[in-house]
Amino acid sequence: MKALRLYTAAFFAFMFAPLVVVVLFSFNDERSVQKFGGFSLRWYEAFVESESLRGSLVASLEIAFVTMLVSTVLGTLLAFGLVRARTRFASSANVLMLIPLVTPEIVAGVSALLLFTQLGMRLSLLTIMIAHITFSISYVTVVVRARLSTLNQEVEDAALDLGATRWQTFRLVVLPALWPAVLAAGLLVFALSFDDFVLSFFTTGESPQPLPVRIWSAIRFGVTPTINAIGSLMLLISLAAVALALVVQRERA
Amino acid sequence: MTRDPWKAPLRRRELLQGGAGLALGLGLAGCGVGNQEQASKEQTERVVEAKVDGDLVYFNWSEYLEPKLIKAFEKQYGVKVRESNFDSMQGMMAKLRSGNRYDLIFPSSEWVDRLRKANQLLRIDLDQLPNADTVYDYFATPWYDPQADHTVPYAMYATGIIYRADKIGDMSGSWNDMVNPTADGRAFLLDDFQEVIGAGNLVSGAELNSVDEGDVEKAKEWALSVKPKLRGFSTDDVQNMVSGNAWIHHGWNGDVVNIRNQVDKPENYSFQKCSEGIPLGTDCFAIPANAEHPGTALTFINFILDPENASKNIEYMGYPMPYTGPDETFAGLVKDDPAINVTVEDLESGQQFENLGAEGRRLWDRTWTEIKAG
Amino acid sequence: MDGDQGGLSGRFAARTLFPGGFWLLAFFAAPLGLVIAVSFGTTDELGGAIYGWYPENYSRVFDPLFAPVLLRSVGYALATVVLCLLLGYPVAYYIARFGGRRKQALIALVVLPFFVNYLIRTYAWVAILSDEGVINGFLGEPVRFLNTPWAVIGGLVYGYLAFMILPVYAALDRMDPALIEAGKDLYGTELSTFIHVTWPTTFQGVLAGCVLVFLPAVGDFVSAQLLGGPGTYMVGNLIQQQFFGAEDWPFGSALTTVMMLFLLVFMVFYLRSAAREART
Repeated sequence: MKALRLYTAAFFAFMFAPLVVVVLFSFNDERSVQKFGGFSLRWYEAFVESESLRGSLVASLEIAFVTMLVSTVLGTLLAFGLVRARTRFASSANVLMLIPLVTPEIVAGVSALLLFTQLGMRLSLLTIMIAHITFSISYVTVVVRARLSTLNQEVEDAALDLGATRWQTFRLVVLPALWPAVLAAGLLVFALSFDDFVLSFFTTGESPQPLPVRIWSAIRFGVTPTINAIGSLMLLISLAAVALALVVQRERA
Repeated sequence: MTRDPWKAPLRRRELLQGGAGLALGLGLAGCGVGNQEQASKEQTERVVEAKVDGDLVYFNWSEYLEPKLIKAFEKQYGVKVRESNFDSMQGMMAKLRSGNRYDLIFPSSEWVDRLRKANQLLRIDLDQLPNADTVYDYFATPWYDPQADHTVPYAMYATGIIYRADKIGDMSGSWNDMVNPTADGRAFLLDDFQEVIGAGNLVSGAELNSVDEGDVEKAKEWALSVKPKLRGFSTDDVQNMVSGNAWIHHGWNGDVVNIRNQVDKPENYSFQKCSEGIPLGTDCFAIPANAEHPGTALTFINFILDPENASKNIEYMGYPMPYTGPDETFAGLVKDDPAINVTVEDLESGQQFENLGAEGRRLWDRTWTEIKAG
Repeated sequence: MDGDQGGLSGRFAARTLFPGGFWLLAFFAAPLGLVIAVSFGTTDELGGAIYGWYPENYSRVFDPLFAPVLLRSVGYALATVVLCLLLGYPVAYYIARFGGRRKQALIALVVLPFFVNYLIRTYAWVAILSDEGVINGFLGEPVRFLNTPWAVIGGLVYGYLAFMILPVYAALDRMDPALIEAGKDLYGTELSTFIHVTWPTTFQGVLAGCVLVFLPAVGDFVSAQLLGGPGTYMVGNLIQQQFFGAEDWPFGSALTTVMMLFLLVFMVFYLRSAAREART
C-alpha cells in the first residue's frame, strides 16, 4: 500500500532526525547546540583533551564489559536451567527473571542505592556494575532461551553415552551450539549497559562517573557541543555493538 | 507434560519463595546494617598539614571558580583535580550522604553550621595557610564557625533577581517582579528550597528563616502563585540568561558578572536587590571529615587565597571574596553597578540563612516538595 | 516442549539455576525488601534514613496534594501507550507484510535509534524544539514547544516506541500469510481484513507492547526533567527529588513502593499472558 510505505518512510525520518541533529552539531564551529556555524572538530578535540571525560569513557567501557561477561555467564546458565529443569524452583526463578524486565528503572535505581548505602558500601564503579549485571541477566536469559529450545538433544545424549561428564557435555556440546545467541545477548547487554543512565545515576560514586551521568550533569549545568561529540561517539560504539550482534546472529542461524 | 505455572498450589509456593527474598531484605534492615557512622570528634580535630597528598577530589557549583586556576594548580603541584559539580546544597548533601568522599566542598554558611555540629568537617588550622592573613577580621569569629577552625570563607553573595534590562522596563523593586507580565513564560525561580521559601517569607513580611507554620504556608502560597508564570526551576541562572531562555531569573549577584563575560551586550543584564529583603550568605571552603587527600585540599585553599589568584578568580565569577587586596578587583567591577556589591557591613546587618534545626528543616523540606509537586 | 527427557536435564539443569537465581534474589529481590523497610523509617539530623515505624509516610503518599502528580503520571503514560500504538503498529505492519527479504534489516533499522543513549535522544529534541531551535527557525513567530505536557509525552513516545514495535512485529511476523489471504477472500477490503483477522490475531502482541511501554513510562523522570516545565511534574521526578533534593529517603521509598504495587497488577497480567504465549 502506497500510503503505508510513505508513512514508514516518514517514520524513519522522524526516528533518525534527532540523531542527525546530534551528530551534525557535534561538528559545529560555534558554541551553540542550536545554531550551526561552520564545520569544526574542536569539540572532539575538547573531549580527547579532557582527562576527566576520557576517564568517563573508559569507566563506561569497563562497566559495560564486565556487565557483559558476568551477566552472560549467569544468564546463560539460568536460561538452561529454566528450559531443562523440572524442579519447582524453576517456575519461581522464571518469574524472578521476568520481573526486572518490566520494572521501571527508577525502582531499580532506588533499590540499588538503598542496598549499597545501607550495607555501608561506598558507591563506585563496582556498585554500578552490580546494578547493571542484575538487570542484564534477564535480557541474556530471554535471548538465549529462545535459541535453547531449538537445540537437538540427541547430540547431548550421544556425548553422555560416550562417557562425557555432564559438565563436559555442557561445555563441548551445548555451549558451542548456543554460542551465536550468547554472543548476541552479550553484545546487546554491552550496548544497554553502555547507554544506561538511570541505574548509573543512582549508584555512581564521585569519580569517575560513566558518560551518561556526565551528559546529565552537562545538560543541567551548561551545554556545549562537547555533549554532542560525546553523544556521537557513544552512538558509534553502541551501534557497532548492535551491528556486530546482528551479523553474528545471521551468520550462524 | 507442561506445568501451568499459575496453578494455585504452586502459586502459593512461589509467593513464599519470592517472599523469602523480600524477607532477606527486611532482615538485613532489621539487623541495623548500615547507617553511616558519624565521625568522632578526634577524627575531625586532627591537624593536617598543607602538603600535597594525592589528587584533589573537588566538589563545587559549576562555573564558580576560574578553570584556568585549576589548570595552574595542577601544573604547579603536579596533581590532578577531579571535578564534579552539584546544583544545590541539598544535592551536595545527598552525595555526601551516599558515602562519596570528597576532599574539598563549598557549603554555604548555614550548611557549614549543620555539618560542623555533626562532626562532618575536618579541622582547618589557619597556621597552615600563609595566605589566610588577608581574610577579613569578621571571619575570625563568624556565627557558623565561631573559632574559624573548620572553614575558610570563599565568597559573599546576595540573592535577588537577574533581569534583561533591555526587555523589561518596569521593574518595581519587589520580589513580585518575578511575575512581571512581559517576562511571562521566561521566568525562573531558583531550584533551591531555602531560596524560594526564604523569598516567600520575605514577601509576606516574615523573617527570612521563619519556621512558623503560618509563615511557611504563606510562603508556599506565594511560590505556587508564581509557578504558573514560570518556565522552570533552575539554579543555572548563568546559562538560562545567556541563552535567552530567561528574561527574569531568581539568582545570585555575582552571576551577573559571569553572564556579562559571556554575552555580546553586557549592558543588557542587570541585578535587582528586592525591597522586601535580601538574603545574604557566605560560601566557604570546607574539607569533609572523610576526605582522603586533605593535605592537597589545604594546599589548594592556600593557592586560591594568593592575592593574584583571588583577583583572577573574582574577575571570572564576579563575587566579592573577603580578602584584603583582591577586594579592590571587585570594587573595580562594581563601581558602576552597586547592586552587585555585598560588604561585610551588609552581612552584619542583613538577613542571612540560618541552620533551621531538624524540625524546621523538615517543615521546609515538606513545603518544598509540595511547591514542586503542587 | 513435549517432555522428552533427552539430553542434559534433571539435577544438572536444576543446579544451573542457582548462580543466576541467587544473584537475582540477592541483588534484586532483597533490595526491594530494603525499600519497604526504609519506607517505614524517618530521617536523622543529617538527613540520613533511620529505621522505625512511621506509617505516616504512606498516608503522605495519598495526600491530595500529590494526587495530581500521580494521576498525571498515569495519564501521560496512557497517552504514550496510545500514541506508540497508533504510530508503531502501521510501521510494524508494513515491514512484516511488505518488507520481503529486507524485513530483518528494516526492523533492525527501526530499532537502531533506541540504542543511542536515551538522554542524548531526548536532548536532541530540546535542540530541535527550543525557541531558537531548528523548527522555530522555519516558523515566523516562535512557537513554544518545550516545557509543555505534549513535549513530555512526545519525549516518552520517542523513548519507548521500540517496546511497542518489537512485540507487535513479532506477532505480525508469526501470522500465517494464508490467514490474510483467506481474510481478503472473506471480507473484501484490506481494512475489513485487518479489523476481523489481523488485529485479533496480533492482539496478544499489542497487549505485550502496551504493558512494556506503560510500565517504564509511569516511572520516567528524564523526559519531564528535560522537556517539561514546572507543571509537568511526574511521580518519577517526585521520587528522584526525595533522594537527590529533599532529604527524605523514607518518603521516596514509600512512593516507590506504592508505585511498584500499582504496577504489580499490570506486571502480573503481563507475566500471565507471557506464560500463556510460551505454551502455545
